Amino acid sequence: MKVSQKWLKEFVDFQMTPEQFTEELSMLGLEVESYEDLAKKYNNFVVGEVLQKEKHPKADRLSFCKVNVGEKVLDIVCGAPNVAAGQKVCVALIGALIPHDQHDPEGKPFVITNAKIRGVESFGMLCSVCELDLGDDASGILVLDASAVPGTPLADYFGMNDVVYEVGITPNRADCLSHIGVAREVGVVVNKKITLPNIELKESAVPATDIASVEILDAKRCPRYSARVLRNVKIAPSPKWLQDRLTSVGIRSINNIVDVTNYVLMETGHPLHAFDLDKLAGRKIIVKTASEGQKFVTLDSKERTLKSDTLMICDGEKPVAIGGVMGGENTEISSTTTNVLLEAAFFNSANIRRTSKYLGLSTEAAYRFERGADIDMTIIAVNRAAQLMQELAGAEILNGIIDVYPEKQEPAKIVVRIPRVNSIIGVSLTQNQIISLLEKIELISVVKSNDELLVTIPNFRTDITEEIDVIEEVARVFGYNNIETKTHASIDFTQTIRTDRFQNEIRDYLIGAGFHEILSIALRQETVARLGGVQPIKVLNPVSAEMEALRTSLIPGALQVVKHNLNHGVKDLRLFEIGNVFTLKNSADPLNHENYHEEERLLVVLSGLHQTASYGQPVRKVDVLDLKGEVSALLSKFNLDNYRFIYYDNPKTLTDPRIDIEINGTYGGFFGKTQKHIAHALDVEEEVFVCELSVSAMRNAWVRERKFSPLPKFPSVTRDLAFTVDVATPQQSIEDVIRKVGRPLLQNVMLFDMYIGQQTGASKKSVAYTMEFQAADHTLIDDEVDAAVKKIVEAVQQQCDAVVRS
Amino acid sequence: MLEQVKQEFITALQQAETPQQLEQVRIAFLSRSGKIAQLFEGMKTAAPAEKPALGKSLNELRQFAQTQFDEKKLVIEEAAKPKEIPFDVTLPGRPKHVGTKHPITQVMEEMVRIFVGMGFSVEKGPEIESDYYNFEALNFPPDHPARDMQDTIFIQDKILLRTHTSPVQIRVMENQKPPIRAVMPGWVYRNEATSARSLVAFHQIEGLYVDKGVTFSELKGTLVAFAKQFYGSSIKYRFRPSFFPFTEPSAEMDITCYICGGKGCRICKHSGWLEVLGAGMVHPHVLKNGNIDPEEYTGYAFGMGIERTAMLRYNIDDIRILYENDVRFLKQF
Repeated sequence: MKVSQKWLKEFVDFQMTPEQFTEELSMLGLEVESYEDLAKKYNNFVVGEVLQKEKHPKADRLSFCKVNVGEKVLDIVCGAPNVAAGQKVCVALIGALIPHDQHDPEGKPFVITNAKIRGVESFGMLCSVCELDLGDDASGILVLDASAVPGTPLADYFGMNDVVYEVGITPNRADCLSHIGVAREVGVVVNKKITLPNIELKESAVPATDIASVEILDAKRCPRYSARVLRNVKIAPSPKWLQDRLTSVGIRSINNIVDVTNYVLMETGHPLHAFDLDKLAGRKIIVKTASEGQKFVTLDSKERTLKSDTLMICDGEKPVAIGGVMGGENTEISSTTTNVLLEAAFFNSANIRRTSKYLGLSTEAAYRFERGADIDMTIIAVNRAAQLMQELAGAEILNGIIDVYPEKQEPAKIVVRIPRVNSIIGVSLTQNQIISLLEKIELISVVKSNDELLVTIPNFRTDITEEIDVIEEVARVFGYNNIETKTHASIDFTQTIRTDRFQNEIRDYLIGAGFHEILSIALRQETVARLGGVQPIKVLNPVSAEMEALRTSLIPGALQVVKHNLNHGVKDLRLFEIGNVFTLKNSADPLNHENYHEEERLLVVLSGLHQTASYGQPVRKVDVLDLKGEVSALLSKFNLDNYRFIYYDNPKTLTDPRIDIEINGTYGGFFGKTQKHIAHALDVEEEVFVCELSVSAMRNAWVRERKFSPLPKFPSVTRDLAFTVDVATPQQSIEDVIRKVGRPLLQNVMLFDMYIGQQTGASKKSVAYTMEFQAADHTLIDDEVDAAVKKIVEAVQQQCDAVVRS
Repeated sequence: MLEQVKQEFITALQQAETPQQLEQVRIAFLSRSGKIAQLFEGMKTAAPAEKPALGKSLNELRQFAQTQFDEKKLVIEEAAKPKEIPFDVTLPGRPKHVGTKHPITQVMEEMVRIFVGMGFSVEKGPEIESDYYNFEALNFPPDHPARDMQDTIFIQDKILLRTHTSPVQIRVMENQKPPIRAVMPGWVYRNEATSARSLVAFHQIEGLYVDKGVTFSELKGTLVAFAKQFYGSSIKYRFRPSFFPFTEPSAEMDITCYICGGKGCRICKHSGWLEVLGAGMVHPHVLKNGNIDPEEYTGYAFGMGIERTAMLRYNIDDIRILYENDVRFLKQF
């Protein structure tokens, strides 16, 4: 909200620099976001009097002037055709920043220096309207009124010596959405009470109630409606001071009547509305809800469809305003208006918010009512506006206020316990200190007991409804920085501190293994999210089509990352991500939160070269076995030894091959090469190998505490064996047989060679294994090992249709 | 005779330079029919009395010749060997893959580490939340303008993507008994257009401490301790009153802008201060919603954004680059 310093000073006397004001108000909870010092804009500009004007000796179009600027007389060269002796003019002194250079095509600002103009020295500049940034007129200098006093700072002359602050008002502080409200807070800083505007009305003898009537049919939604009747108003443009005021806080001037309602709004914070009384059928106001689907045209000429809980202000025949939101076109003040019904009402905040949301119509009025207006302010607002309309539009104010207020709202009274105040804030304030702190913000306390106060909450503080609200006020006015910063907080270390060590260790391991961690936003285009193979959850109000659905797998998002990197020439990729995927377990019941399932996944991505191309290194692309190696290493790093890979032939999934990972007998994830059509859908033409694991499956199987197994006491014996088998026989089937038959002496089996070529023929392959035998209780003798090897050879030959090679 | 053979041998050995020449020396002197062997042959005809002395001299000669020969052989063989290519130590080392941690994770881990050191546990909650946990239990009544502070992405009328990490506070309170001390990091979502300054999703870290006798004064102490650890012990700080529906009194904490040192710059909007977190005493309604008696227990809560902190720390001026996952970007961390 824009706040004018000059305007504030009408209610509280204070002297603060803009920097001080910013600091002090911010420390009270009214964050001053920025400010504009209008006086600074016209620093080094003064009123001058042209004493003498002569022709420039060397240039016909230029004049040489002697100008009185108060303290001295300056020589100034001027090019304006209209300059003449005796004029009062605007002088830019040396150092002045001309906001708008009318000779520059872009109108850039420039600084006045003393310059020689065609050989004659000049100590300033006489300014045009355009150069002063006050309008477009660049035809000549601006000539001021003869009464202007030379030497007067220009900002003072224009009445622009103001600072306008942009203050961020939190949603709880509706009372500060006005100059009076902000002034009250300034009063806290300078320890002064505010003075409200002095209102004196000259009422005519005719009672307002003779002319108009107000009836509330829905007192829950509209607890108060106060109105005055004004006659014989003369609609005209507002005087300059009123226009300037409104402009300074960002409101456009319309006419004297509308401007007064806006002025009073910015002053008191209470929204008002002026109806053309002659357009109100029966000169009647009836406050009631609309009928569902009813249409109504608001002031902005838009037709609105109403709901059955929309509160309407109606006349004898029709709706004339959406209560607390916006007036209607049908009863708008126009240039021909002579009689006015001026109203200030109070509306239920939740209902206003619903209406405003539903209509998508946020107005100054709705903004204030939904945050909570002051029910006592209706009278002040309507009187203040009537007074100004009388002054500015010659209005006749009829006698009395039509004030419909069925149930008077008494100020709330809250019991506040002194020990509670101190124990929340961590201070030891006395009862008297608390009383005087609260008094600064007009919260009046009565001592109830030694430990208790009964605090009366004025109606403008709708945000204070219970003890804790009062405690916050005590802390705020006391000053947060005056509260001790207790750096010796007692911490109980007897409790177990739970952390997600597993996730951290996965990260650290993969980073050590040369992977870059990526993080991506879970929202994707629906078609992309769907690539995960599961129906994705869609959001109702996506920011954009690219962010309309939640991922069901980390893979499609990662492929988009791969795509981004390929586009930027980065081809060799080792990436990982830990993130959630989302599914709806029971699509029949999407309203039940329990049905939304989130699962943490770990994604590993390999693409491009196996090793960065370098001197003396063979170059090859990564393949499934590289990924298999990474996955196996990862699983064994976390002691997930009881895992197994399950191979599928014809997968209808994200990868081909698809290799499932089973950890402790439970599905833990899968890996493989991304299917061509999936990669293609995301415009990725490179081969991308991906592995997606369930973090919880890994975490559950994670053996954190390992027990030491004693190292073998007796040496091991190594033997090699090679077999020729059918080219289609999986090596795993051979390895499995070796492991099974080799027990208990066989400790390790490793495939060390595989060969298809001349010696084997195209239909056969040779596979060679190294086997390590060992006994726990003695040194093996050759006969034992020979027997074990023989058993293995026989079993493999038999079960795998293999021939041992000698 | 013996001395003459010795001199001949020495001369011949000196002159031999190739393995072939050396072989000729061996044949001439050290072979079975060589000159030294012939000397031994001649010993047979010597007088028996001279034999022992002669034998000794001959053995010495043979030993001498063999030793000399072996030494020379080594030298010649070494010289005859093909020269090795000199090892170039300036060749590049064999490349290794170097992984990196995402900058957001780094910042978050550091924050978590500091709080864990202060006795806070780490808790998590769902990203898809119900209206109850995200708003109502946190004292955002329906139809309250405070809800406008956070533009929400909805999945259903009462199901949404959490707009802050604060709902985890309620979940933690429901499941634990005081004393509760927890930090809750994670993704949050807002319905905001993507720009250099804002994204639809970002990270927050939430903190909660509920116990007997927890005060605002202690809240200040903990957060100042954190800020000094995280931003440096020389920072200045201030707490300003603010508004969050779920805390009261509520505060925002500013620290001296570490870009300009408090003099005022573009980053701190010329105020000299940087807002780093929001905090406050847990509102009694919120404690009640977490099944905790607000008369018996009090608590404080705080929350901060990770992205802005990371951006300031690493001098990143466009938030969008964080989640493009460009390896050229990631490599820098």
